[in-house]
Amino acid sequence: MDLTPNDDQIALRTVTADWCRDNMPLEGARARAPDLWMQLDTMGWAGMTAPGMDLDHASEALVFAELGRFLAPLALLPSAVAARWVGFAGKTALALPADGFVRLFDSNGAARALGLFGDTAGHFAIGDVRSAPSLDLSTHVARTVPPSSIDRIDDPRAALHLQLLAAAFAVGCADAARDMAADYAKMREQFERPIGWFQAIKHLCADMAVRCAVARSQLYYAACALDAGDEAAFHVAAAKRLADQAALDNGRANIQIHGGIGMTDEAAPHLCLKRAHLLGFVAPARPDALLAA
Amino acid sequence: MDIGFSPEETRFREECREWLHANVPAEKRPLDAADAIDFDKAWQRRLFDAGWAGINWPAAYGGRGLSIVQQVVWLEEYAKAHAPWIGANFVGINHGGPTLILNASEEQKAYHLPRILKGEAIWCQGFSEPGAGSDLAGIKTRGRIDGDVIVINGSKIWTSFAHVADWQELVLRTEEGSRRHRGLSWVICGMHTPGITVRPIRKMSGQTEFAEVFYDDVRVPLANVVGGLGNGWKVAMSTLSFERGTGFIADQVKQSQEIRELIAAARANGMIRDDRIADQLAQMRAEVAAVRAMTYRNISEVVRTGQPGPEASVIRLFTSELGQRLERMTVLLKGADMLDFQYGDDNAVQDYLRGFAATIAGGSAQIQRDIIGERLLGLPKSR
Repeated sequence: MDLTPNDDQIALRTVTADWCRDNMPLEGARARAPDLWMQLDTMGWAGMTAPGMDLDHASEALVFAELGRFLAPLALLPSAVAARWVGFAGKTALALPADGFVRLFDSNGAARALGLFGDTAGHFAIGDVRSAPSLDLSTHVARTVPPSSIDRIDDPRAALHLQLLAAAFAVGCADAARDMAADYAKMREQFERPIGWFQAIKHLCADMAVRCAVARSQLYYAACALDAGDEAAFHVAAAKRLADQAALDNGRANIQIHGGIGMTDEAAPHLCLKRAHLLGFVAPARPDALLAA
Repeated sequence: MDIGFSPEETRFREECREWLHANVPAEKRPLDAADAIDFDKAWQRRLFDAGWAGINWPAAYGGRGLSIVQQVVWLEEYAKAHAPWIGANFVGINHGGPTLILNASEEQKAYHLPRILKGEAIWCQGFSEPGAGSDLAGIKTRGRIDGDVIVINGSKIWTSFAHVADWQELVLRTEEGSRRHRGLSWVICGMHTPGITVRPIRKMSGQTEFAEVFYDDVRVPLANVVGGLGNGWKVAMSTLSFERGTGFIADQVKQSQEIRELIAAARANGMIRDDRIADQLAQMRAEVAAVRAMTYRNISEVVRTGQPGPEASVIRLFTSELGQRLERMTVLLKGADMLDFQYGDDNAVQDYLRGFAATIAGGSAQIQRDIIGERLLGLPKSR
């Protein structure tokens, strides 16, 4: 039993974080470089989950939490699942089925889309779609008619894989909001002292740290459970629920701690909140998965 | 990262399970400290004789000298087997003993540790005072050095098991005029020493489990100081983070049993059809799972680096508040039946009322949030 990253995993995480900081800062999420996907592909993050790479889910979860911290492109999630379970090498868009239509996210340059249909992961070909800006400013959204045929992935672990990686993205998003809030609370002064001195602010920040620790720990456990095939459906659902909550609650608290500037379009806090809302719709944890015996 | 246990740890788990299955007493532990003391001592002695006391304590002092992971395995199996709370032994086993292991002289360790493990010596903790609660550094109880004796005057409060204890880990001011964290000493104080008066205090759940303690010219040998005169704060703090690391695995198992029972009860009485209740139960089930994940992560950190991570205080805060949410839900599902509660009953209402201690004792939830904000996030100290 060991729930801390080993040296290889720490190195992998550090490389990811360093690259993201230099090439994909969070503040730039609304206007990412047109060739960002190509860069991610070149660096190996788009295809790292392919079967030949032999990467365990625990290492993946660590890397995706770092990517999520910088609000990395959403298509990394469906592309990772497609790479592992279908063997696709290219970019795959994210599909969120709705009543009578399907929302496609991050579909620019993607030939297929993948999402959950009921409990199973499925994918389908997409043509040219007209997309518009989404609530989450890092991505575009397009509406299409439901595909006439969906290729379903029979292995239930594919759906859990998507849920796990989305949870990792949400953990990263919650971390980003926590750090942004704590940094601001150290710097912003009112009543002639940093606002982080006041317990009213300090305790909001502490609660953000608690939510991050809770969600990250369960993420690690769930990743190991999926690797080991041990009560994976429950543990991954628990990880997703706690991660979504951490991302959303931290997103809200971060705006509150920033005060007036936190409400503006110019400042970064709303980027985390909006990403959190979107992730909440990606393979959400259903209560019955958590209540099952 | 992996969540599997080694073959050796798995064998150890089976040993624990078998012994507990055959030996956990059928009768319930009495609730009141005065009634429970014989039960607690006898049970601790049985644990010791069978080799289950002090699993990761040094073998030289009566422990088993095994790993912290094996200690966790034992605590998990202990809780799963519904074995009784160690009760009056908890201060000695969970706090006094570990503090002695880290800070005491050979002589002090050789005398006290085996007695704690055998259940022969009951310990209590003299930290809080009427004027020093969350602000623990405001301790006023003083010790005047008189030759090779410390003469103690003052009072302590909220001292669990004081009225049945043999020894106390007593933190007091030994330097006259010293302030705050300086000038304090950690002293082993015999509770049967002349000049000590204990006034038991009843809790709102009905038990008399803690007490106020008064010291009137109490003479304790200077040799009973642990870790050197004036180092009391450092000695007292040395075990806190350790405690916060492993101390909650038993709570996690208990909470995991509670949430299963709650879900079963809500299914049985149909309340699970209320979406809000189903949602809260689902939430708590996920949170209980996360407590185990956090504890395992913290233990792994200890194994890897020798020290618990700074997130240990997060586990403490989260577990205590989660426990209270569970207790509140249990009472909610009971409905108006909670109104039939009488002092002395051992039931969900009792757990609910006793549970208020979880976010007060050993550092309130508010102090924990200060610690998390300052040590984990680096926010400016407000005190």
